[in-house]
Amino acid sequence: MKWWLSKPDDPVKATSGTSSYEETVQQSIMLTTVQDLVAWGRKNSMWPFHFGLSCCFVEMATSMTPKYDLARFGAEVIRGTPREADVMIIAGTVFIKMAPIIKRLHEQMMEPRWVISMGSCANSGGMFDIYSVVQGVDKFLPVDVYVPGCPPRPDAFMEGLMLLAESVGKERRPLSWTIGEQGVIRPDKIDVKERRQEARSKMTEFRSPDEV
Amino acid sequence: MENGNSTLEQLQAQFGADTFTPQATKDEILTLWMPPAKIVEVLTFLKKDIPQPFRMLYDLTAIDERTRKPDNGHIPYTFTIVYHLLSFERNSFIRLKVGYRDEFPTVPSISSLWANANWYEREVYDMFGIRFTGHPHLYRLLMPRTWVGHPLRKEHPARATEMGPFALYDDKMDLEQAALQFKPEEWGLQRQSDDSDFMFLNIGPQHPGTHGVLRIILQLDGEDIVDAIPDIGFHHRGQEKMAERQSWHTYLPYTDRVDYLGGVMNNLAYLMAVEKLAGIQVPDRVKVIRVMLCELFRIASHLVWYGTFAQDVGQLSPVFYMFTDREKVFDIVEAITGGRMHPNWFRIGGVAQDLPKGWETLVQNFVNYFPKRLKEYDGMVMKNSLFKARTKGIGIFTLDEAIEWGVTGPNLRACGMEWDFRKKQPYSGYEMFDFEVPTAANGDCYDRALVRVAEMRQSLRIIEQCLKNMPEGPYKSGHPLTTPPLKKHTMHDIETLITHFLGVSWGPVMPVGEAMSCIEATKGANGYYVTSDGNTSPYRLRIRTPSFPHMQMLPYITKGYTVADLLSILGAMDYVLADVDR
Repeated sequence: MKWWLSKPDDPVKATSGTSSYEETVQQSIMLTTVQDLVAWGRKNSMWPFHFGLSCCFVEMATSMTPKYDLARFGAEVIRGTPREADVMIIAGTVFIKMAPIIKRLHEQMMEPRWVISMGSCANSGGMFDIYSVVQGVDKFLPVDVYVPGCPPRPDAFMEGLMLLAESVGKERRPLSWTIGEQGVIRPDKIDVKERRQEARSKMTEFRSPDEV
Repeated sequence: MENGNSTLEQLQAQFGADTFTPQATKDEILTLWMPPAKIVEVLTFLKKDIPQPFRMLYDLTAIDERTRKPDNGHIPYTFTIVYHLLSFERNSFIRLKVGYRDEFPTVPSISSLWANANWYEREVYDMFGIRFTGHPHLYRLLMPRTWVGHPLRKEHPARATEMGPFALYDDKMDLEQAALQFKPEEWGLQRQSDDSDFMFLNIGPQHPGTHGVLRIILQLDGEDIVDAIPDIGFHHRGQEKMAERQSWHTYLPYTDRVDYLGGVMNNLAYLMAVEKLAGIQVPDRVKVIRVMLCELFRIASHLVWYGTFAQDVGQLSPVFYMFTDREKVFDIVEAITGGRMHPNWFRIGGVAQDLPKGWETLVQNFVNYFPKRLKEYDGMVMKNSLFKARTKGIGIFTLDEAIEWGVTGPNLRACGMEWDFRKKQPYSGYEMFDFEVPTAANGDCYDRALVRVAEMRQSLRIIEQCLKNMPEGPYKSGHPLTTPPLKKHTMHDIETLITHFLGVSWGPVMPVGEAMSCIEATKGANGYYVTSDGNTSPYRLRIRTPSFPHMQMLPYITKGYTVADLLSILGAMDYVLADVDR
């Protein structure tokens, strides 16, 4: 797929090229496979479920407000019902009293569905190793992305969402009657630590906390 | 605050000289032990008959005394029930204690005396297994109905990792879902009236209007609410049990997460109690830094409330403005503390570090910027006729009702009572500041909003005074229990080195005793009642939060309104589920 953007104040100019038949067809016809097109569409409109548990939910909500503006990534359409949502963000502590309800809500979401575990409590129980808290939502739900932090900043949450979008874009759902892999082929999980290692090891100078 | 002598004399005149055994405490609140047989009688006298009565049941809790070190003159009870009452006329608290020697004691209920005793007693039953005779609905309040054991008893495991791996099999799902099934008969609710069938509507625990994991079951006659039953505990994080294993110092981050919109304000409530125990006087600079950060968080919390309240009643855009301003507050908070929502920045006897260079400009910019915005919001929200229509005359309670239900903070002031702990029982140097206590007269949803909006202006005034009068000096006190200890007190000889090492690794050892703090938090009176048996962690820590009694009042103030009004009432109440369930 080839596409381009022009800005409103760009001068009007003739499109470059030779106006050949081949080029005109190229500009008006898009050729792709259904699975690519579907993956592209899914990747760019992840609708989150309006679901929150505790502190992290406030930071998640903050990411939808103007300073962070989640709408840039097509994910600002918060759905009040699990039937219409694509991604469930476990934003906060997973309480034992709440666990059956979380599981029920996840079951009510339509396929394809994804789960982001946001914050230390949802990742592993975090600082709340206490009788009323499940030590990580992955004890009973499949998790696609873990976002660390207590609570994660809105930026960190958005990065998690971008990571998920990246792997959703690479998902393959072969429509085939032949023998072979059936169902969804998901890409390997992304290891952000590895990906960032080089850039991080170059960070040697840090701002002093004594100055703003 | 008046001293308790006259109260004690009045009580002794009524009940005889040897009924009460006074106990000395670090917070100088009159503390009396009384015999179990006299509970109802004494409390009735204190509420109704004594001159300048104690009209508010501020808190009710219990202590499991069974593992307490015996060497501090402690009476060997198994359980103690603790009542905290507040008298507005006397401007003082009284603490009454009753000791029991059974493994599972039975206590006479006072739920017919105070309306808000109902939930407090249910909580004690849930957490300790102590039964209350005469209680109308003695069911579990916080833990699931299927729970085995009572978490705050010392024999109950604290860690989830001690309790075996968690698994959610299908049959367990069915069991839990069945336990959540609402049975109207259990609550004495009718299924029909004379001329119509009631509908039972289940709102939550997953609902956009409940601001978190709260469940409310409504009994509806058409659109009108006949009764409401809040079901809480979906957000119970065992904060009180957690304190019994954390050191005095490492418990601080947990306090941040009690009222998670209040940030460092929670640190302050906890530290006021711990510093009373330790006998630490903090330097003036610490006081003013703390006040400044707390007021910034009050503004941040009120902004979240402002935006979401407007959203609850149908205005979609204000929340975007208010969250933008909240980010401005967080810019300052982040520059000073390095954190956003949970900075965990106060320390026992001080703060974590000194203010960074250039903080004045940041604060000054905000002080210049914010009043204009508040004025804009007045036009956008408070003067909006639809907003007024949705909130005026809705969810009214009178001053007497508020006191009966234990309502504090802006919700109390909206009923016309000028009661603010910053003024009445100043702490952390609030007596040095010039500010007003906004009140309103009608006690409806709109007035609660008015009070909070006015409070933001007052908070800004306080911040401005902090900015102009920030004292010089150390950011930590020199007291030996200050944590982390001052470096200059170490490296002299092996003794000082060991003391420093223990203070950092095990944490400080607080002297034996008990103390309660009470601060004016974002949502009302927040207090920590800590008991030390001379160890590195609290023996018992009780968190009195404002949202708990406010939520308890919900059925009382929603009756007769419609479902749409319920959301106005919830929005105006300004609660945080972590503050309700802890």
